[in-house]
Amino acid sequence: MLEVLIYGIIIGSIWALVSSGFSLVFGVARILNFAHGIFFVLGAYFAILLYPYLGFFSIIPAVLLVGAFGWIVYRFLISPIKQYEVMVILITLALALLVKEILLAIFKDISQSYPSLVSGLVTVAGVPVPTNRLMILGIAIVVIICLDLFIRRTKVGKFIMATSQDMEASMLVGIDVEWVYSVTMMISAILASLAGILYAQIYAVNPATAFRVLIYAFAIVILGGLGSVRGSIIASFIIGFIQVAISMFYEPRWAEIAALATIIFILIVRPKGLFGVE
Amino acid sequence: MKWLALISLIILAILPFFAPQSVVYLLGLTFIFVVYVVSWDLIAGYAGQINLGHTVFIGIGAYTTALLQNPERLGIAIPHLPIFVTIILGGLMAVAFGFAIGAICLRLKGYYLALVTAILPLICIQLLNVYSDVFGGYEGFSIGFENSLASSLMAEYYISLIFMLICIVAIVYVVRSPLGIKLKAIREDEELAEAVGVDVVKYKLIAFCLSAFFAGLAGAVMVHYRITVGPDLFDIPLMLMIILAAVIGGLGTIYGPIVGAFLIYLAKNYVFVWIVQKLSLNVSDEIFLYILLIIIILKSPEGIFEKVRRMFS
Amino acid sequence: MRLLVAMLLIAMIMPIASAENVIKIGVIGPMETKYGTAMEHAVKLAADEINEHGGILGKKIEVVVADTKLDQNTATSEFRRLVVDEGCKVIIGGFSSGVALSMLDTMADLAREGHKVIWLGDASSPRLTDKVAQDYEHYKYFFRPLGLNASTFPLDMVAMLDFLRSQGLNIKKVAIIRDNALWTDDVMKVFKPLLEKHGYEIAMDEKAERGQTDFSSFLLKAQEKADVIVPILAHVRGDSLVKQWADMKIRIPIAGHDLSAIDPDYWKATDGKCFGEIYTADGGGVPIPINDKMKHFLDAYKAKYGHLPEAYSAYGCYDAVYLYKEAVEMAAKAGEKNPFDPDVLVKYLEKFNRTHPFEGVRGKIAFTKNHDLVWGDGFVRNWICQWQKGKQVVLYPKYMATGKLVLPDWIKPSGAKETVKKEEKGTPGFEVAVGLTGLALAYAIRRKRN
Repeated sequence: MLEVLIYGIIIGSIWALVSSGFSLVFGVARILNFAHGIFFVLGAYFAILLYPYLGFFSIIPAVLLVGAFGWIVYRFLISPIKQYEVMVILITLALALLVKEILLAIFKDISQSYPSLVSGLVTVAGVPVPTNRLMILGIAIVVIICLDLFIRRTKVGKFIMATSQDMEASMLVGIDVEWVYSVTMMISAILASLAGILYAQIYAVNPATAFRVLIYAFAIVILGGLGSVRGSIIASFIIGFIQVAISMFYEPRWAEIAALATIIFILIVRPKGLFGVE
Repeated sequence: MKWLALISLIILAILPFFAPQSVVYLLGLTFIFVVYVVSWDLIAGYAGQINLGHTVFIGIGAYTTALLQNPERLGIAIPHLPIFVTIILGGLMAVAFGFAIGAICLRLKGYYLALVTAILPLICIQLLNVYSDVFGGYEGFSIGFENSLASSLMAEYYISLIFMLICIVAIVYVVRSPLGIKLKAIREDEELAEAVGVDVVKYKLIAFCLSAFFAGLAGAVMVHYRITVGPDLFDIPLMLMIILAAVIGGLGTIYGPIVGAFLIYLAKNYVFVWIVQKLSLNVSDEIFLYILLIIIILKSPEGIFEKVRRMFS
Repeated sequence: MRLLVAMLLIAMIMPIASAENVIKIGVIGPMETKYGTAMEHAVKLAADEINEHGGILGKKIEVVVADTKLDQNTATSEFRRLVVDEGCKVIIGGFSSGVALSMLDTMADLAREGHKVIWLGDASSPRLTDKVAQDYEHYKYFFRPLGLNASTFPLDMVAMLDFLRSQGLNIKKVAIIRDNALWTDDVMKVFKPLLEKHGYEIAMDEKAERGQTDFSSFLLKAQEKADVIVPILAHVRGDSLVKQWADMKIRIPIAGHDLSAIDPDYWKATDGKCFGEIYTADGGGVPIPINDKMKHFLDAYKAKYGHLPEAYSAYGCYDAVYLYKEAVEMAAKAGEKNPFDPDVLVKYLEKFNRTHPFEGVRGKIAFTKNHDLVWGDGFVRNWICQWQKGKQVVLYPKYMATGKLVLPDWIKPSGAKETVKKEEKGTPGFEVAVGLTGLALAYAIRRKRN
């Protein structure tokens, strides 16, 4: 039972990074980005590619590259068609499949992992946990606190908040809404890519991981309430626990079905989610 | 327009006598793909319900007939049924699912409907994997070459062609009937339609079930045509291809999507493959589909059907 | 739009060129994986070698590649393309029993339409060759020289467990992690009774999904319940499994049928974490020069591609091309009018039997009545190997052994469960984690109030 708790928190912290960005983009720009999983795997692949040259510093350029990619995706693909919601779903879905196929062509259908940042084993309350996993929890918490501070304390963050609350009013007071959306997308991509690198460090990524991650991210933000960053962070840990519990006591294959069923159930029964603020 | 259709029909009818066998085989597949697209157009183009989970019906029809032909996979004794019976049962099974899904989901408005239906095929694929001893998992299974549509390629081709024609005629009949007019009214303005006394929920559901029926039939015929069944019939790439074909041809025009389906399916199997080979790219030809879809959405996000309709008429 | 129509017309009208003095060999496999690329490389290598020496009966070999994408729809339509459009007379490759079974029916269907082709296949399920036995007329064109029947894997795996026992490991309970695919079902059918017969007990039997990368829960469960982890993996790659096994210092060894462990760059791919993994090398396909032919093959491969064969499938495919050549030449020598005719060739391929085997790089190749490979000493069999310090070492059978068993230091040889007691006292890590989580929660709640 304790194992479930500890491993659930660790996987939950990765999901928190993924879903907070996903949720932020929806909350601010009302975009449901089906290509979010692509940011996750691209981050991991960039970091793996750059590792031989830069060592662990490869995380920084990898994250920035994906951030830039996120910005480009918004500016050139999503922004022109933003008012057609279904078309946004389709275009991001097509983009996700496109990038997945390109990744498949370059990296083949092989799981690749990033070297462990630290090695060793720590016994936590009788449960041995690899140090590299424990470290992820720390990183995730720090990053999420930073995100919160960024949004609340900086000028850019305040623009983002203002835009998410009232887009038209923000435009009236002179905020460049398009710019805010681009920045939000960039932040979301950075968070996802960081999560991808951390994930690749304990597990591994392959091109198909993008869609698995997307399913979990989707389930989490819908459970937490579309657009509520805080709700999605709490929901991340809930889904993390459920995932590990199902894997440990039953079969991991059911964990994904549980996530998918959650999406449908919540969308039909309570579209605003558990902590929805709509 | 009529003459054009007639001429193409005559060409298709005599084609197997002089075309290479690989072309004949591929055209047979294309006919079935046309039915996928047209049946999607019925619900998305006519009734205006963006159903991104159309492949659920295709897959259910396909697996129903495949399992009925291989009852040992189900672990129950079923007498061996003729192929055309199980194909129709596949269509009916799709209707059952269509009814259940429609009854729950159709009260969701556009955007949410798109989301829920987009997730459904993924659940189906996961279930196929979990019960892999029945469904064959991601590897799919072969229904046995003795269960193919006919024992010669030419016969299969004609069956497929006739199947397509029947489905098109039936769907055209539906959209020209009073039902079709009500569906159009719902698409244009749901509240107004309700105000003038159209039972919106009922007609949406009927359209959903009809669309599911033809998709299920087509999925089942596809299985017997190519003698294999697998999760690709549920998967997102197929859905995107259907959407692409319908959008290129023009949503809500029936005839447009037919042209679109021919174009896309043949382009995928000839032009895209050819480009990949010529440039000796090491990528899947599917990426051209996605690029094309992205370009089309960017160029005219409201759907380019208006433009195309003008071009063809 | 118009451009698309025009291109479509051009592409459809383009005639299919076929030269008379060329023999086309199709290679079909999952080209998105190493298994597929290894097939392609090996066949092309063999074709180049044969072409340099005048080809097959004077005809130059041309290799046509097709990708199954591990998906039955793509696989069967590509199979069709190779046979009908390209006019291949022989197809080499396969992989994934479920997909291969679909292709097998396509092959029979095509034969019925008059497009006969010899298929020198891979994929290990017994159901493939069972079809040959059940309906010889339609399926006789299928031979499986690339890999052994899955029912032979349990023989080698049980031999491996017995070997580990003889080395002082106290193994009784077995935790199986296997592909969620057809072939492992067939392996289990034979493996289960055999394990019981040899006094083992299956404590866990879990299926891994293709593309799965998180194995922690499997590993934790296995550690709790069993004495050894037996992976039976081909579609799922073992890299991330062994990485997590080493990271988590799971106290029981990994010993099983992990196809990816055969790859020579596995050490690099797992960052050395595969140290101590024991595996059976499918069909003897390991880059260890066991005979002159193998040595020549490895050298030639390295010379052409700059590295050793990237996966197990290279060995069988290389053999298959030469096997085909020899069968055709035998047919020509016997005075057959059309030695390339599949119907004729079936007879000559069947002549490679226990008493008249073909000498391949992996040992002797001979077919059983159902077109399966003969398994056994001297013939193709699955060596038991281990990864040690960046090197693959054959442990068993004895006459092949190139090294001794080595275990990672966190594995205690005298049985895992008895000796290692659960450590009771916690380390500061937990308190730190709880503290941080608490802080974060408090922070979040405070913020929410504001």
